Amino acid sequence: MLSFKVQLFSVLKSKLQTDSVDLETPEGISVGEFLDLACAQYPVMEPYRRVMRLAVNQTYSEDAHILQDGDEVAIITPVSGG
Amino acid sequence: MVADESRKRLVQLSYERIDIPAAYRFLQTPRAGGVAVFIGTARQWTGERETLSLTYESYKPMALKEMHRLIDAAEHKWPIQRVCLLHKLGEVRLTEASVLVGVATAHRAEAFAACRFLIDQLKVQVPIWKQERLTDGQKVWVEGNHPPR
Repeated sequence: MLSFKVQLFSVLKSKLQTDSVDLETPEGISVGEFLDLACAQYPVMEPYRRVMRLAVNQTYSEDAHILQDGDEVAIITPVSGG
Repeated sequence: MVADESRKRLVQLSYERIDIPAAYRFLQTPRAGGVAVFIGTARQWTGERETLSLTYESYKPMALKEMHRLIDAAEHKWPIQRVCLLHKLGEVRLTEASVLVGVATAHRAEAFAACRFLIDQLKVQVPIWKQERLTDGQKVWVEGNHPPR
């Protein structure tokens, strides 16, 4: 198993009332599977599944990308800067 | 304000007020024949909804990387002499600047085009979010419709 601290911002941070959650995953998990698992574990995220991206080591990552132990991960919902 | 080593670009995410004259001074160079500056400001009315102030937060290390990446892309497309990309974090009051994009190029067409590209891309790619404080006391996160690419 791998263990990740998932950083949260904006609407997810408000809805979950925390700026990070812990997630345990099997080894070899992909970004897409990781986001599905996060939504299953924290159902309040589910409405955002279609529009969320995972940043891995501060870079947007594709669904097929495989996560490694120690990766820095953050869930990014549509941004609204400017 | 301190420019990075290349001295061609100034990128900043700060809780301090955006220093517009300092940004303009940075953009000045005899190599440029045009300087385009876009300043995004806090707007009071969105249709029927009245905003009292905005608050911005970011995933700062990644936001700075993305801002530099957007400038890299702009420099690949246009011959940019100087560029600055500044965003305020924390509370932004009505009429105050939340973002400043400035581009200096030899000719005006490239300055306008690069400036437009940078603000449009910043608004979909850079992990910064705004929260509106409304007259009824509510604080509402502004949620974009499209995920970053």
